[in-house]
Amino acid sequence: MPRSIILGISQRRTFRRLVENSRERLYRMAFAWTHDPHLADDLVQQALYKALNNYKQLKDYGAAEAWLFRILSNCLKDHYRAKRDTICSDDVVIADNVTPEHRTEEQQLVQKVRGAVRSLPLAQRQVVTLVDLEGFTYTAVAEILEVPVGTVMSRLCRGRKALKDRLIDVGAATEPNRSAQLKRVK
Amino acid sequence: MNKDEHFSEEQLNAFVDGELDPEEKSRVYNQSAHTPQLDQRLCQQRKLKELVQHAYNDVPPAKRPGGSGFRRSSPFGRALVAGILITLGAALGYLAHAPTSPVAVPAARAPLVELPENYLLHVTSGDPEQMKAALEHARYLLESADEGEFRQVEIVANERGLDLLRRDVTPFALEIRALQENNVVFYACARSIQRLEEQGVKVALVPDTRQDYTALDRVVMRMRDGWKYEKI
Repeated sequence: MPRSIILGISQRRTFRRLVENSRERLYRMAFAWTHDPHLADDLVQQALYKALNNYKQLKDYGAAEAWLFRILSNCLKDHYRAKRDTICSDDVVIADNVTPEHRTEEQQLVQKVRGAVRSLPLAQRQVVTLVDLEGFTYTAVAEILEVPVGTVMSRLCRGRKALKDRLIDVGAATEPNRSAQLKRVK
Repeated sequence: MNKDEHFSEEQLNAFVDGELDPEEKSRVYNQSAHTPQLDQRLCQQRKLKELVQHAYNDVPPAKRPGGSGFRRSSPFGRALVAGILITLGAALGYLAHAPTSPVAVPAARAPLVELPENYLLHVTSGDPEQMKAALEHARYLLESADEGEFRQVEIVANERGLDLLRRDVTPFALEIRALQENNVVFYACARSIQRLEEQGVKVALVPDTRQDYTALDRVVMRMRDGWKYEKI
């Protein structure tokens, strides 16, 4: 039976909205994982190919977003496998090779934070960015990365602790008033 | 002694991420109101979260070969998203029938009465058998068109499948030429070419091969046009 009959109209609308919003978000996430625009774009394209070809596997449209990010995560795993990394991809740390060129205070802050995120092992980097950038619940992150929720929590804890060690003075350095340190950035 | 010693880092993470149940959340709120240390820890957690969000508000665009990269609001990005949207609408019903590997016998499919008759074949494999299957399938599609029907067929290649269109690599130059003479158009993924050239590989394509930014762009455009898509 054609799938167009199987799928209800509302489901198709939901899937359309999902895809409408997904590419940019997937790209942002892929960039946060890899810090490489080329690779991020490739991963997103691979993920969209797979989504287009395999969405019949999507049983629960309520979990469609997590499903897309899970495909993206698997594309990244495949990438590291294809490169035949001798280390576990979960431990991949990207070198912080930001050049010390002159930047505005805003750019410095952004680069400092990205440098800190980039220095995290991939497993922690993925959890931190999925939670902070996409606002996924711990349960959703566990489904995306195919790990237990407890693992998500411990990775998040370790990742944030590492970030805190590197970043907690960043805000203070850019704000003369110590009391303003804890105010929202935006 | 800190009064917030009962709250672990994991609990505070769960608090700022909205993962605590209401009862525990209230407990953290109440205690933070009377415990500056706890309040400061919570503020630091929130600040950290917001710093990460701030750092990725604007990410650098992907640099596309032969053109500018897409940004959040670029016309290309919007067009691509729109293309995918329309594509999905058209493809939802069709993709259920589309074979993913290797080429299926068209006669075995469900009736195609309501579907368009133009085809885009997508080659991603460097396996010569798969390439040969794609070329034979293209020829079959041309030959099986009804009399008087002008059926268009395109073949787009990327990743390892790009070898099909590399002049010094393909074992099928003659077959490709023959199909081109029958109006089959071949497209190479410019991104895949760029990737190879970045690895020091000089890429020369068989004559009359065209390029698109990426294979996905071609797929999306043709599916938006109502073409049938088959991944080999």
